[in-house]
Amino acid sequence: MKEEVKLWLETGKVDIFLGYRMMAGHPLPHVFAKDRLQEVDELISADARYSLEKLAARIAAEQPGIKIGILARDCNKRALNVLSVWNQLDPGQVETLDLNCCPSVLKDGAECSYLKPPKTGFHKKQVGIDNQYDLDDFENIDQQERFTRWINEFQRCIKCYGCRNICPVCFCKECSLEHPDLIKAGDLPPEVPIFHLVRAAHMAGRCIDCGLCEEACPADIPLRLLYRKVNQIVSDIFGYQPGSSPEQSPLSVLENTVTLAPEPLQAVEG
Amino acid sequence: MTVKRMRFLQELLRFVGLGGRLHLEWISSAEAQKFVQVVTDFTEKIKALGPNPLKGFKEKIEALGPRALAGAVQQDISLQKQPPANEKRKIKIA
Repeated sequence: MKEEVKLWLETGKVDIFLGYRMMAGHPLPHVFAKDRLQEVDELISADARYSLEKLAARIAAEQPGIKIGILARDCNKRALNVLSVWNQLDPGQVETLDLNCCPSVLKDGAECSYLKPPKTGFHKKQVGIDNQYDLDDFENIDQQERFTRWINEFQRCIKCYGCRNICPVCFCKECSLEHPDLIKAGDLPPEVPIFHLVRAAHMAGRCIDCGLCEEACPADIPLRLLYRKVNQIVSDIFGYQPGSSPEQSPLSVLENTVTLAPEPLQAVEG
Repeated sequence: MTVKRMRFLQELLRFVGLGGRLHLEWISSAEAQKFVQVVTDFTEKIKALGPNPLKGFKEKIEALGPRALAGAVQQDISLQKQPPANEKRKIKIA
């Protein structure tokens, strides 16, 4: 891996390379460059994850034409796809060095921080939502209980914006979660459940299920479950899969004909 | 676009436990009867669902102050049921 990166930098295949380097005991994202080639020896992959493609998009915005190499996991690649679909990053500008991450029977070993999730505590299992829940299992719980559990999770939010900041596919310059007319400043927790549902709605057709938001969340809110559901809806209704589609999400594309019918009024659900 | 967003939002609200409280219907200005019917039906449905479970929640939180939050609210809307026995960890590969 290190040899490959050195070769890329030396031959000018890429101008900079985004990877991780151990600093002060932590694996941190780092920009490797040709004039600091010796640093490449310290390049690590480990379990560390960060939205490197978000950094790449920002660097590319400031220095158009720069060639960027990225240490890429599967989630990074899905994010790169989304960023290019939304015209945030030119795919021709990016070279990926693929990592062995998501587990599979077809390959040995896998490293990813997601594979070692923290254990969910007893109290959280009782009144909140176990972060390891499977979507189908969770939906088997009745509606009222689901509501209570979500509210218990949402009301722990400390509005740190960690989920948004780490999110590789959040790139808006103006965020509606910071708009004073939409989300009242100084409110803690931010309006339950509006704050989280707004973010969930914005993740529709965009979230690539990397799980970084949940890892970043200091309140341990099961965001991944929420955004998984959001994308299951998009997939069920529109047949759209973010991260692998060459088109923008159907929620952003105005079509010539309306094919979808409104939902009929149903009797009260249990 | 409207119908796309509404269908999406209906599903999302259902997931977080607020299902059935949002409805979309196309009604022309010439369809007074249909309008009456839809509004009546929907009103009945909402009445059957009962008041919004979020009603008064904000005031409750504000009254508690920022520090006292976590515990107190949970007591107030405590759960009757035990969580399902499924404690197994499942990894779903995306």
